Amino acid sequence: MMLRKMSMTGDAISHAVLPGIVIGFFVSGSQRGLEVIIGAGILGILATLIIDWLKNKAKVQLDASIGITFTLLFAIGIILINMLAYKVDLDQECVLYGEIAYLPIDLWITDAGFSMGPRITYLAVLNLVLVSAFIFLLYKELNLTSFDENFGLVIGLPAGAINLALMSMVSYTTVSSFEAVGAILVVALLVVPPATAFLWTKKLTSLIKLTCALGIFIAITGYYMAYLVDSSIAGMMVAVGGIVFLGSAFVKSIKPNWIFGTSTSIKPLEN
Amino acid sequence: MSDFVYFFTFQDSSIAFVVIGITLLGIGSAYVGTYSFLDKKALLGDAISHAVLPGICLGFMLAGEKNPIYIVTGAFLSGALATFLTSWLKSNTRLSDDAIIASILSIFFGFGVVLLTVIQKSGNPEMAGLNQFIFGNAIAILEEDLYIYGGLAILIIITLTAFRKEFSMLVFNADFGKSIGYPMGAIRLVFNVLMILAVVIGIQAIGVVLMAALLIAPGAAARFWTDKLGKLLLIAGAFSAVSGILGTYVSFVIPQMPTGPWVVVFLSLFAFASFLFAPKKGVLSRFIARRYYLKKTHQDHLLKLIYHGLESGKNSFPIEEIYESFPYRKRQTKHTIDELLKTDLLTLNQGLIDFTSKGKSEAKRIVRLHRLWELYLNEYMNIAPDHVHDSAEKLEHILTPELEALLENRLNYPKLDPHQEAIPRDNDEL
Amino acid sequence: MIINVDSPVLEIHDLTVSYDQSPVLWNVDLSLPAGKLIGILGPNGAGKSTLIKAVMGLIPITGGYVKLFDRELNEVRSRISYVPQRESVDWNFPASVLDVVMMGTYGKLGLFRRPGKKEKKIAMDCLEKVGMQAFVDRQISELSGGQQQRVFIARALAQEADLYLMDEPFAGVDMATETAIFQLLQEMTAAGKTVIVVHHDIHSAMNYFDWIIMLNLHLVASGPKAQVVTEELLRKTYGGKLNLLTKVTDIIRQKDFNPLKS
Repeated sequence: MMLRKMSMTGDAISHAVLPGIVIGFFVSGSQRGLEVIIGAGILGILATLIIDWLKNKAKVQLDASIGITFTLLFAIGIILINMLAYKVDLDQECVLYGEIAYLPIDLWITDAGFSMGPRITYLAVLNLVLVSAFIFLLYKELNLTSFDENFGLVIGLPAGAINLALMSMVSYTTVSSFEAVGAILVVALLVVPPATAFLWTKKLTSLIKLTCALGIFIAITGYYMAYLVDSSIAGMMVAVGGIVFLGSAFVKSIKPNWIFGTSTSIKPLEN
Repeated sequence: MSDFVYFFTFQDSSIAFVVIGITLLGIGSAYVGTYSFLDKKALLGDAISHAVLPGICLGFMLAGEKNPIYIVTGAFLSGALATFLTSWLKSNTRLSDDAIIASILSIFFGFGVVLLTVIQKSGNPEMAGLNQFIFGNAIAILEEDLYIYGGLAILIIITLTAFRKEFSMLVFNADFGKSIGYPMGAIRLVFNVLMILAVVIGIQAIGVVLMAALLIAPGAAARFWTDKLGKLLLIAGAFSAVSGILGTYVSFVIPQMPTGPWVVVFLSLFAFASFLFAPKKGVLSRFIARRYYLKKTHQDHLLKLIYHGLESGKNSFPIEEIYESFPYRKRQTKHTIDELLKTDLLTLNQGLIDFTSKGKSEAKRIVRLHRLWELYLNEYMNIAPDHVHDSAEKLEHILTPELEALLENRLNYPKLDPHQEAIPRDNDEL
Repeated sequence: MIINVDSPVLEIHDLTVSYDQSPVLWNVDLSLPAGKLIGILGPNGAGKSTLIKAVMGLIPITGGYVKLFDRELNEVRSRISYVPQRESVDWNFPASVLDVVMMGTYGKLGLFRRPGKKEKKIAMDCLEKVGMQAFVDRQISELSGGQQQRVFIARALAQEADLYLMDEPFAGVDMATETAIFQLLQEMTAAGKTVIVVHHDIHSAMNYFDWIIMLNLHLVASGPKAQVVTEELLRKTYGGKLNLLTKVTDIIRQKDFNPLKS
């Protein structure tokens, strides 16, 4: 998402899926499962289509199209939460920042009565597997369309479909992480690790590895620090991410000024 | 119904205050947001809205209560820091704009959420009010708060109105401003300050997450109604104020609903209505304009058909033959003929169609334009005679009299087109 | 002066292209021979890039059609290679020179499959042809303008196509690179490939190309350079926009829809 310069679209989608999640909760009663993921997937695609319609048919600026779409969908989500409160077990705060602390108690108990451990673990593993498979299978296609979409179109790649598939992955990931970290903080985990990694390396494989490592680091550190300070776990994760990000930015740009004195700050090649 | 009357006749002075507050704050946000929208930096407002949260919490923590001065100051410093970091990252790293904004947005918000939960755990009873900053609760705006927030809103509106020239230059072409000696850096700074202030007061009503809507939607919607900046700002302000009041009304009637989402819903209604129905730019208007255009082209084609018939020696045109010339479009053809009869270009006599003199003149004009354009394409652009027809067929409907004169002049009042057909003029006899 | 050929490698018939509401190319009719180095010339805004993009299917066509190797574009994509303008891409993207050149092989490779030794060899050979083999693992953000251009051309070569369309490959490039690229293009045409290049400079065009196309919102000329580069045709191309055409374009642009679209 970062390489495609769609970080804010990712932000928008993670907000836009809220109505889908609420409706999924509503439809499935207290069992939170497939309906939620389907609901979110549909909303993710719907949001992408609305943004496209606004930009291409109604001729609204791109940034305004994104802003209007996600705020409307998120607002509808909040309204639905309020209206369906009698049946939907979500509250507004939970939507925002989730509550990982309760998840270990939310166990998956099979029909035979065995406890398989926290439900979220399985959802998370499934998410990881699917996203990894997606990226692995379409690695070169994603690369090519992110670097030079026109070239992709010219050699016959279905660039539009690939884009939509990627947005669906974002929706799906948002939903999977939703219960753990809430809708809004998902964005931080989507956007901050890659941005930080990009400050340190320009090679794609290192970029991906570093992003994953940072993600893991932020999650673990954030969790334990939240425990120490007794605050929101998700919020703390993001705070940790923020410190790492800003620290990296600081380190990677100030040094040359000190060492080389009059050297100007890093600027991308002007060509 | 009685709620409605109660609310809108302002019998309760606190409601009156709220409405005034919402109106001012809505207009202030719309003004700032519109400039931001024109600057194509609409999502920056989204980032700043999220970024003020930690400042608000810190202000609260220091004051121990919901003291507006502490809160505004805290929010302001927090927003300022975010804005500063955004520009700093832009000039000092290779990260793209969207990655920077998204990162700052979520990081600051994360810090804010940490502080928020710390406050929650501390059990301070005042804390319930803080939630209003996340989702907005206009009804909870107290009279004392109003003086500060209202005052700030008025400050924003006045500054933007008084310095319209400077701010327009900032968003349209800052480099130009700099080159003619305006202090663009300072103007940018003032603008950022106003933006942060607008956010701080706006989130009372709409909350942090949805604040972007209050900044973006009014301007985006108003843009479809006018091309003039002054009118644009007024319309944006109006949309914003009305949405704010309606949203507040809903909060009033259904107390457990936060205001924010409802304001966004009304704003979005205005926005989509504008995108669809605004004259000239709206989707529907463009559709109607196109339909009207197609109707007119059909009329032109029909007139041409009859004229071509006259050219090849026919002198009677039964209406049935005309229907046959446009297969599968009998109903449309019938409408077209009716229209042409009404505008006195054709006559219908015992099933036979004929020109009025006005009609013949008009038909000649269209055929003339068609053939002149074909000649132009052929002579000036080296286009083969068998390729000029399509283009002429489309353009004959829009060439103006001025262009016609230019064409005649350029081509030297020609007699024949590339297909050796005569170019008809009003004084000819067929 | 428009010269047509039998069994052309590229045939453009009555092509009209609109870009963002205004018509940019009017009724272009031309056919091009195989195995030649062909230059497209014209002033700024004449529609040169637009022509190439329309041929490649990147911009919708409002009238007419294009035939490549006497077929539709979709049937022969694997035989056509496209080199876009350098600015159309963000060179900060994390990719090595080799990564970018290998992208040229993706068309033939197909969806889901991973590039292997064969693709790497093709890429290395192409890098050698453009003289960039030493830069194999270099990050593209560290390249100069000329080097970036060579990488783009290497990518095009890796497509192993028969027809190459290049958009301003000589723009902003140092003399050594320009000479090297031109030599490469000559070798390609000698081997039977057709290379069509959007170019910005009439003088060097005379030296480089066998066949020249001149555009100015419409086709002014197309043919062997000796026959086409005459003073009169140059004047028609570069001597200012057609007044009437500009006025008509203005009217079209003021409407809320494009009347040229059916």
